[in-house]
Amino acid sequence: MGAPSGMQRCKGRRSSKPDGTSRDMAARVVQTFSGWRTMSCELDGAASAVAVSRDGSQVVVAGRNILKVFAIEEEAFVEKVNLRVGRRTSVNYSCSDVAWHQLDDNLLATAATNGAVVTWNLSRSSRNKQELLFAEHKRTVNKVCFHQAELHTLLSGSQDGSMKCFDLRRKDSVCTFNGQSESVRDVQFSPRDYFAFAASFENGNVQLWDLRRSDRCERMFTAHNGPVFSCDWHPEDRGWLATGGRDKMVKVWDMASARPRELFCVQTIASVARVKWRPERRYHLATCSMMVDHTINVWDVRRPFIPFAAFEEHRDVTTGIAWRLPHDPHLLLSGAKDCTLFQHIFKDAKRPADRANPEALCFGPRGDVAFAAKEGLSANDPARRALPGDRRNPFFFIRKAPEPYDASLTQQHSGSVCSVLNVFQRCDAKEKLNPLENESESFVELAQRYCLAGRPFAELCDHNARIAMELCRHQVAQTWLILKLLYAGGDASPSPALLPNGGIFCGKDGSSGLGGDGMSERGKSEGHGDGGLEEPNEETEGSDVENLTASVGLYAAAAGLYSGNGEEERLELLDQDTTTSDFPEFSLPPEAFALRHEIVDGPAGLEHLQTNGPDGPGSGDEDGTDEGMRSACQGKVGGSTAGLGITAAESVSLISVSQPLFGQTLPPEVFAPAVIAMLEFYAERGDVQSTVSTLIVLGEKASGGVDTLVQEHWYLSYLELLQRFRLWDVATQVIRLSTCAAISALNHDSTSLNLNCSSCRRALGAKGWLCDRCRRCASVCAVCHHAVKGLFVWCQGCSHGGHLKHMHDWLSASPHCPTGCGHLCEYT
Amino acid sequence: MIHDAQMDYYGNRLATCSSDRTVKIFNIRDGAQTLVAHLHGHDGPVWQVAWAHAMYGSVLASCAYDRKVIIWQEGKHEWEKIHEYKGHDSSVNSVSWGPSEFGLLLVCGSSDGGISVLQRAADGRWEAQKINNAHTIGCNAVSWGPAVSIGSLFGQSPQYIKQFVSGGCDNLVKVWREEDGQWKEEVKLESHSDWVRDVAWAPFIGLPICTIASCSQDGRVFIWRSTGSSWTPKLLHKFNDVVWHVSWSITGNILAVSGGDNRVTLWKESVDGQWACVSDVNKGDDSGLRSSI
Repeated sequence: MGAPSGMQRCKGRRSSKPDGTSRDMAARVVQTFSGWRTMSCELDGAASAVAVSRDGSQVVVAGRNILKVFAIEEEAFVEKVNLRVGRRTSVNYSCSDVAWHQLDDNLLATAATNGAVVTWNLSRSSRNKQELLFAEHKRTVNKVCFHQAELHTLLSGSQDGSMKCFDLRRKDSVCTFNGQSESVRDVQFSPRDYFAFAASFENGNVQLWDLRRSDRCERMFTAHNGPVFSCDWHPEDRGWLATGGRDKMVKVWDMASARPRELFCVQTIASVARVKWRPERRYHLATCSMMVDHTINVWDVRRPFIPFAAFEEHRDVTTGIAWRLPHDPHLLLSGAKDCTLFQHIFKDAKRPADRANPEALCFGPRGDVAFAAKEGLSANDPARRALPGDRRNPFFFIRKAPEPYDASLTQQHSGSVCSVLNVFQRCDAKEKLNPLENESESFVELAQRYCLAGRPFAELCDHNARIAMELCRHQVAQTWLILKLLYAGGDASPSPALLPNGGIFCGKDGSSGLGGDGMSERGKSEGHGDGGLEEPNEETEGSDVENLTASVGLYAAAAGLYSGNGEEERLELLDQDTTTSDFPEFSLPPEAFALRHEIVDGPAGLEHLQTNGPDGPGSGDEDGTDEGMRSACQGKVGGSTAGLGITAAESVSLISVSQPLFGQTLPPEVFAPAVIAMLEFYAERGDVQSTVSTLIVLGEKASGGVDTLVQEHWYLSYLELLQRFRLWDVATQVIRLSTCAAISALNHDSTSLNLNCSSCRRALGAKGWLCDRCRRCASVCAVCHHAVKGLFVWCQGCSHGGHLKHMHDWLSASPHCPTGCGHLCEYT
Repeated sequence: MIHDAQMDYYGNRLATCSSDRTVKIFNIRDGAQTLVAHLHGHDGPVWQVAWAHAMYGSVLASCAYDRKVIIWQEGKHEWEKIHEYKGHDSSVNSVSWGPSEFGLLLVCGSSDGGISVLQRAADGRWEAQKINNAHTIGCNAVSWGPAVSIGSLFGQSPQYIKQFVSGGCDNLVKVWREEDGQWKEEVKLESHSDWVRDVAWAPFIGLPICTIASCSQDGRVFIWRSTGSSWTPKLLHKFNDVVWHVSWSITGNILAVSGGDNRVTLWKESVDGQWACVSDVNKGDDSGLRSSI
């Protein structure tokens, strides 16, 4: 984005009007402007052009009903002369353009809508300052232009298609240039070539003329599609001509070369009425528009789409713009149809280019990230168009195949700002094991492979746990197992799958090889055996023992995860339990039940767990609510790595889930709150999949405890996600299995098919298969000619079809429709 | 220069918009990026694009410097303009589609300080409602909130509300809510010290909390959380450069942030409520995976 061209602030205030040396180098020092400010004044009528005196102290505003000279003071415009004097105002004064001579501060020229060209002398003492009147043009004069170096030469361009050169010492034109195109919209003397001037035409042409030969132009070319309303020579670069047209473009031409060459092209949002190069800024020019857009835009021609600066003060179309001083880039004067005259200060301008967003970012549903960033002003340097070297292959994401796609470059505008667009895809080849890596893929996997119904509860849980485990969603897998233990009651023995899982779980995260050397651990814990054994418990709860130990084992396995420092006694006790569960025949040593006993104590057990954390806050709620889990896990996380944090959280939730299990009886109401807390925990973590899947599998067991609306919301969220991944079948299954009335109803929404009669091709009405017109049943099999009952398959192209089997057989032999209609039917 | 890129509902197509006044649509499935459509219609740089919910077919909205908002629809063979909205007096900087529950509902934020809400009526006409002077100097970003309010989730009646968040040049983030057909400023969130560049309302997947991310010219990214009554800010990170964009993953647990230094970082909240950077897309670090979660 074009660098703000350093607005120098000069210390002193503008001392006095620049004298005659203003064009000398001394005066080329940037003018002071700190004293100037944006200001405006009301006019009597709409302006159509403005012109500034050489020293920038006065401005003339011309319009159909106005012709006034204002002095530009520091705080305001002060009216100096009203040139429209006299009783009756002549049409000669209805101005379309005005010019101020750059050598003579008293000499003005106006172009009138009736074809008159009038010159004015401000030094006349009478009220009427009109000097000369040339009534040679037949139609509106669009433009007048003084020669920069000749005091007496004035050029005009008119709607009648001709340009006239006047010598102000004579009463008529010196010569006439006939463009032989259409109406002349602008004429401009070249500041560098004494005899040259450019003219722009309504038919899109630009002509270059030599003052000395009026018979034909030096060169002519088509610059725009549609009228060229304005042209302006670059003040310094010889031969650069900017043209602005109705085609909403500003083009910069190099006229010095053999053929006019288009150097830049700026696209504006509305047709361009005036173009003026900005002094002292080689690539900047100001434009105003003829309609729609009321702002004055200053463009950096290298930046073709977004204006460098914009002045938005005017409330109606701006008609005239002029830089106040030939060497000051900060002051711009403008007149508009809203009857105001403005002085704009550059520092008050808006900078749309700075506002423009140089980057684009989008997080795709599959975890892809699309990112586009600008490559800087890459000018004409082809080397810059390549990818910068520092953009190496990022880890975590890989860039998709055809790497950079450069949208702007296809336009081939030299010097436009380019962007490189990358789509980063998740790495999924190497890091398959990391659950974060392929969150969306595991989502899809899980959605597809989860078994939600059709088998006994315990089997479903086992199945789902196994799948979750395969995808490294350990916590989810453990949840499934716990659920199974909770709800499947005493009839289910721990699945063999559980044990290896637990072992993998512990071993993989390297928590001191709990599963591995279980025996030695056990030996240690036996040594620690508390006195508080209660044998009778074991006997009375014979049937629950298996479940119990299994869950404790789970818990211990999970607990081992977050506490790599297993030196605490309590933990070793837990570890010991892990090992006990490794014995398939459940030959549990009595010591193991010391732990159980502790946990049976409920509150005490939980407290005890929390003190396990290195700096545990000990603020856990005993009722195992969500808050309790979270605060408890925070304590754990303090000591362990953030990566294990979630697992810690999970293990704590498992604890609270499993805790009620140790009660003497197992009424579902006891652990229902914990299960609900678990559901909410997953939902809160954004894993609505786990929430909904468990909800479905639990069915009536859990749905009672959760607010229907919440459930509904969970379902809808999950369905939305499933649909995003185009898992329609899973979504349908979820809808079917949901226990929510509102969700199940989704499947009852009608799906309508519009049918055509296969013989007359008219749309079938609501009457079913009977066609209104041909009074025939439309659902006749094209092969056997019997009405089809049951599955009817038909081609969408020719509406012919029949029994699925018949059609299948037919089409495996021939690609044509069996009716002989000639249609090449497509069945997929 | 690309100003915005958006993937469609399924992540199969990517729409980009550029200073060159065009919108391009790429097919990004199957590992390749192929240009499938090139939409011409704007007269100025196109700032932002947005895909509507897939339920309404392929509908895309784009907004541009030319003060227009164009809604495109993919027809049988090509994309066509189905609506052009010219109700703004200055550049339109941001567009966002509302939740699918409300039909085709679009909000646009403009440099004229106004925000317009466009709704397609049953007869296919588009009705516009304009909030004037929503942000002095201009509105830079808008993002729709979920249709279900938090209160209703654990409360009694299901309540569908229209709400969106906007960020502007007045350094403010504002949450708007429709009440009796009128848009009201619900809350004004002050924390940024410079223009707010982007706002993003996190997807609402089962969470009992509303989350908004906002980023600003001042380099700061805030996460705003509300459980119904008030919004509390949390500073995600202070970057050294302007932060241009924030974007949530579909489950709303990972936030992508792109800053002026041409880097994309991904952030995830850990269990204890701290946001941690989990990935840095543009870092040329070959040391392998540095994922901390």
